[in-house]
Amino acid sequence: MSVVRKWSPARLLVWFVLVVGGFISLFPFFWMLIGTTLNPNDVVRGIIVPGSEIASNWVKATKNYNLLLFFVNSLKIALLTVLLGVLINALAAFGFEKYKSKGREKIFGILLLTLIIPQIAIVIPMFRLFSFLHLLNTHAAIILPSVMSVFIIFFMRQNFKMFPTEIMEAARVDGTSEFGILVRIVSPSMKATFASAAIYMFIGQWNSYLWPLMTILTDAKKTLPIAMSSMMSMYTIEYGALMIIVCMSILPVLILFLTMQKQFVAGLLGSVK
Amino acid sequence: MNKRGSYYRYLNRFGWLCVAPAMVFYSLFMLYPILSSLYYVTRKWKGMSNTFVGLGNFARMAQDKIFQLALGHNFLFMFTQIPLMIFLALILAVILNQGIKRLRGSFRVIFFLPCVTSLVAYSVLFRILLQSNGLLNNIMMNAHLIASPIGWLNDPFWAQTTIILALTWRWTGYNMVFFLVGLQSIDSEIYEAAEVDGASKVRQFFRITLPLLLPVILFSAVTSTSGTMQLFDEPNILTNQGGPGNGTMTAALYIYRQAFVLNSDFGYATAMSYIVVLISGVFAFVQMKLLGGRDK
Repeated sequence: MSVVRKWSPARLLVWFVLVVGGFISLFPFFWMLIGTTLNPNDVVRGIIVPGSEIASNWVKATKNYNLLLFFVNSLKIALLTVLLGVLINALAAFGFEKYKSKGREKIFGILLLTLIIPQIAIVIPMFRLFSFLHLLNTHAAIILPSVMSVFIIFFMRQNFKMFPTEIMEAARVDGTSEFGILVRIVSPSMKATFASAAIYMFIGQWNSYLWPLMTILTDAKKTLPIAMSSMMSMYTIEYGALMIIVCMSILPVLILFLTMQKQFVAGLLGSVK
Repeated sequence: MNKRGSYYRYLNRFGWLCVAPAMVFYSLFMLYPILSSLYYVTRKWKGMSNTFVGLGNFARMAQDKIFQLALGHNFLFMFTQIPLMIFLALILAVILNQGIKRLRGSFRVIFFLPCVTSLVAYSVLFRILLQSNGLLNNIMMNAHLIASPIGWLNDPFWAQTTIILALTWRWTGYNMVFFLVGLQSIDSEIYEAAEVDGASKVRQFFRITLPLLLPVILFSAVTSTSGTMQLFDEPNILTNQGGPGNGTMTAALYIYRQAFVLNSDFGYATAMSYIVVLISGVFAFVQMKLLGGRDK
C-alpha cells in the first residue's frame, strides 16, 4: 500500500480514530486500577488521580467480603471444568473425526443443530434437575453442565482433520492400540489446539454468571461474578473493596490473553475456519 | 481398511467409546432439559405445586405487556447496536490492515482488550462510571459539553443508550479481529489491479473489500444476534435489574425474574423461553440462508 509519509488529512483522520478508539478501549482498565486506590466516595465521584487507600481496600475486600475465597472458588471451578472438558471434548472430537460412521455423523448433526438453543431456554429445566438431584448450591452444579461443549468439539474436530490419517495407519501397522495412537501419536502434535480450547473454556467458566446466579445460594460457594453482582445489589456499596474484586476478576484473563495471545485468538477464530 | 471385517467393527466400537462420555453429558444437560421443558411449558406453578394449563402460558404471554416490552428492547438493541458495532469494527479493521504501517500489533491488542473482561466486571465498572455524579458526567460538564448531568442510568432512553454503548465497547474489538482475518485473506493483487485501473480507495472499499468480506460480516451478525437475544448480564447489573422502570428489561432477564425472583413460575418462564428460541431460530435461519446464498 502506498502510505504517504506527510501528514495528509486522511492520515490525520486515521490516527485520530486510532488514538480516540484506543483511549476509549483502555480507559476503563486504567480507571479500574486507579479505583482500587481510592476511598469509596472518590470512586463514585470518579477521581482520576491515584489515592492511598489500596491497602485498606484490600483489607476490606479480603476481610469483609472474602475475596480470596471467591477467587479460589472461581479458580477451582474453572480449572476443573477445563480439565474434564478438554479431556471429554477432545476424545469426542477424535471419535467423530477419525472413526467416521453414519450414526455418529447423524449425532454430530444434532449437536450442531442444538448450538442455536440459547442458554436461557436450558437453565430452567436444568435448575429443576439439579434441585431434584439435591445438587443446588454446590460447585458440581456449576461444573457439570459446562464440561461438554459442542463448540469445543466442533473446534477440535476441525483441527483433528488436519492430522494425516496415514500416520495413524502406520502406527496401527506397528501394533499401536487405538488409544495409544490418540495419546502418544496424535495428541503431542495438537498441543496448540488443546491450549486454545483450554483458554476458551477457562474464560467461559471464569466469567459465567446466569447459571451460577441461579444455583449459588450461600456466601461460601460464591464465585467472583456472583460476589460482584450481590455487592451491587446491597444497600450500601463498599466501592473501594468492589474495585479490588473487579480487578481480581479481570487480571487473570488479562494475563492469560497477554501471555498466550496466539492460542487465545486461535480459539476465538476456530469457529470461522 | 476392510470395511466389513471384525477389525472395522473394532474401530467402530472404539469410535463409540470416544464419543460416549461427551454423549452422557450431552444427554443429561442438553437433551434432558429440552425434553423435560415440553412438560414444564404446559404447567402453571402456584407455590410448590403445579397444574396443567395446556397452552395457557402462551395465552398469558399475549397479555403480558412487560414481556412484550422486554422483547422490544431485544430488537431495539439488535437493530441499533449490531450495525453500529459492525460499522466501527470494519473501520478499525480496514485501518489496521491498510491504513498504517507502524503499531499495527499494539492497536490490535488494545482494541481487543475490552473483550477479556467478564460481562459482570465491565457492567460494574460502567455502572460506577456512569452515575449521575460519576466520572463521565463530571468530565463532560467540566468540558462544557453538557450543562447538567445526563441520567445515564436513571432515564429509560439514556439507560438504553448506555447498554448500546457498553455493548459496543465490549464487542467491537472482538468483531474487528474476525474482520482483520477476513481482510488478510483477500489477495493483494486484486487491489493492485484496481489501483492500475485508477479506482479510488473508497471505490476499492465498496467494490472489493466489502463484497469479499460479506460472509465474515454475516457471521458476525449471526453471533451478535444470538448474543443480543440472550442479553442478561448488562441489564441485570449495569442498569440494575432492567431499570429504570423496565426501561432496559430484556427477555432473558424477565424470564429469570419470573422464575427466580418474582413468582417461581417455571412453567410460564419456560413458555417465554420458547419464544426466545423461536425468534433466535428464525434469525439464525434467515442469516444462514443469506450466508449460504453468498457461497454459491
